[in-house]
Amino acid sequence: MIKRPFFERIKPLLYLLPFIVSVTIFTLYPIVNVIRMSFLEGYKYLTGAYTGIGFGNYQKVFADPYFRQALSNTFKYVLIVVPVSTVIAVVLANLLNQKIKFQSFFQTAYFLPMVTSSLAVGLAWRFMFNDKIGILNYVFSLLGMDTIPFLGKSGGNFLAVAIFGIWSILPNTIILLLSGLQNIDPLYYTAAKVDGAKTLRIFFRITVPLLAPTIMLVVIINSISTFKMYHELFPLFGGPGVAYNLFTVVYYIYYEFRVLTPPKYGLAAAAAVLLLITVFIFTMLQRAVQAWSRRERGEDVKKVKKHRDEFR
Amino acid sequence: MKIRLENIVKRFDDNTAVNDFSAEIESGELVTLLGPSGCGKSTMLNMLSGILYPTEGKIYFDDDDVTYMSSEKRGIGLVFQNYALYPHMTVLENICFPLEIKRVPKKERIERAKKMAELVHVEGMLNRKPGQLSGGQQQRVAIARALVKEPRLLLLDEPLSNLDARLRIEMREEIRRIQLETGVTTIFVTHDQEEAMSISDHIILMKLGVLQQYDKPQYLYDQPANCFVADFLGNPPINKVEGVVEGGKVILNTGEDSLVRVENVPDGTKVYLSFRAESVILDNKSPLKAKVVMTSVMGKEVITSFVLGGKEVRGYMNSDAELERDQEIGISFKKTGVFVFDYESGERYL
Repeated sequence: MIKRPFFERIKPLLYLLPFIVSVTIFTLYPIVNVIRMSFLEGYKYLTGAYTGIGFGNYQKVFADPYFRQALSNTFKYVLIVVPVSTVIAVVLANLLNQKIKFQSFFQTAYFLPMVTSSLAVGLAWRFMFNDKIGILNYVFSLLGMDTIPFLGKSGGNFLAVAIFGIWSILPNTIILLLSGLQNIDPLYYTAAKVDGAKTLRIFFRITVPLLAPTIMLVVIINSISTFKMYHELFPLFGGPGVAYNLFTVVYYIYYEFRVLTPPKYGLAAAAAVLLLITVFIFTMLQRAVQAWSRRERGEDVKKVKKHRDEFR
Repeated sequence: MKIRLENIVKRFDDNTAVNDFSAEIESGELVTLLGPSGCGKSTMLNMLSGILYPTEGKIYFDDDDVTYMSSEKRGIGLVFQNYALYPHMTVLENICFPLEIKRVPKKERIERAKKMAELVHVEGMLNRKPGQLSGGQQQRVAIARALVKEPRLLLLDEPLSNLDARLRIEMREEIRRIQLETGVTTIFVTHDQEEAMSISDHIILMKLGVLQQYDKPQYLYDQPANCFVADFLGNPPINKVEGVVEGGKVILNTGEDSLVRVENVPDGTKVYLSFRAESVILDNKSPLKAKVVMTSVMGKEVITSFVLGGKEVRGYMNSDAELERDQEIGISFKKTGVFVFDYESGERYL
């Protein structure tokens, strides 16, 4: 091989340089720094001084009742918001995929949460949730049901933030599912209809299984984003609920780092690392599930070829 | 089951896809809807399956008027061009699915599906997914799925066009075998004339939504109703030379007498003289002369290209005579495979 001049060889690196530099400064360095911080005990951010190295921060985090509550709130939030929003989104996406009148109106209506500021919309929801003037409780009272103190304590405010959370992630979820639905060959529906299959059977036996890879993707993406639940708390309650009953992991990090004086940087960093690990596990899970679904569909190219050769 | 189509018309907005189509299909036959793309054959099939409804006309299955009956009530099996096998179900589940919809008990379902799988020779791969099968195997599964509910009518929409040439020949023989074994009335849509010729009891040839001819394959070839039918069938394609009728003689545009005679055609009518490659005789005593362009040996046959009436045409000639380029030869025609069509309307005179 002819040796190319020096400049020619480093040219590709030069093109990549802006990206590498920005990723290093704004993504890699903070990650590394947070991991480092999580192992430093008694760390002072400004002076850089610390008293020891070890798992002390992790021990303290796990022993902290606030963190435990944050963890349980977060898991509860993920376990409610993700399945409920996925089910709603699958049904709505399937309806939006039909040829219906006013289709564009419905699409706009469902995608509205995405283009509006979540802060502004959150404030609107706060009014709707209001005990005295809110429309939700007004409707409940009209129906003769007990009103729910959405913004008070005793679980009502958890319900409120879950409803708001479901509503906020619907548009993204629906878009992903719609694109998945549009990848399903309509011929499958025709084939099933010719054989006499009704709407519900088509939905459960054909649409849902064929959409399964997209549903899996959506579940994982939404799990990751709901694990990081944080900003939904502010427009509704101006903080983590009543008397901190809605602590979440990210809010805990923020709390240890910013609200407490003096701040406990080590605890915040340890909590952040724990969150990172959780999200990382989910990401790995997603990759495994996708690989599995490809295998299920027999899309493994080598395998298909082998089978074909066997039967030639 | 006997099928009767009466004056079927199908319009899409301004576009008439099928026009005044009438035909009767006998029970237990395999009939091919043949024609170039856009001739309305798939539209016709979709109306038979109930995916589309005709704008005008009636469709009868035996004596039942099914014109506006929905697909699932018609008792049809449909095989699609790309098979449309459900990718998430195994072969067995795919074949079972039509029975599952009919709420056939699971045990019976599996029994019948396995019987079908044996009929189409896929019994060894019941637990595979369609993605793990070759095109021909997928085709077989699709046929099994269409047949498992014992339809009155089997409809096949270009079922072989996704297969390679060798597999296509194998599968068309398989389709014929399965059709004969089950005795199901079958309608097969294709644009491939060779496929149609080899498989069908009868062929319906269509052009621009209009039925051109409905006959036995050989009859379609030997006695084409018009110029389009003659052009569409046969490989190599039929030779066409332009000419004019004068006193019952077909005179080529170059002024030579083609020796072909027609009756009751007015003088001065512009015509096509069409003849099959196998209908040409090398006859040096003939006054009709042509110039050799080239000869090519194709297996056991020798095909000679020559110029006649200003057009390059082809014929199977006696291979003993070694013909050279630019050599002048005498030509005459056999009695069969020679036709005269009107230049404008394609109407057949001979």
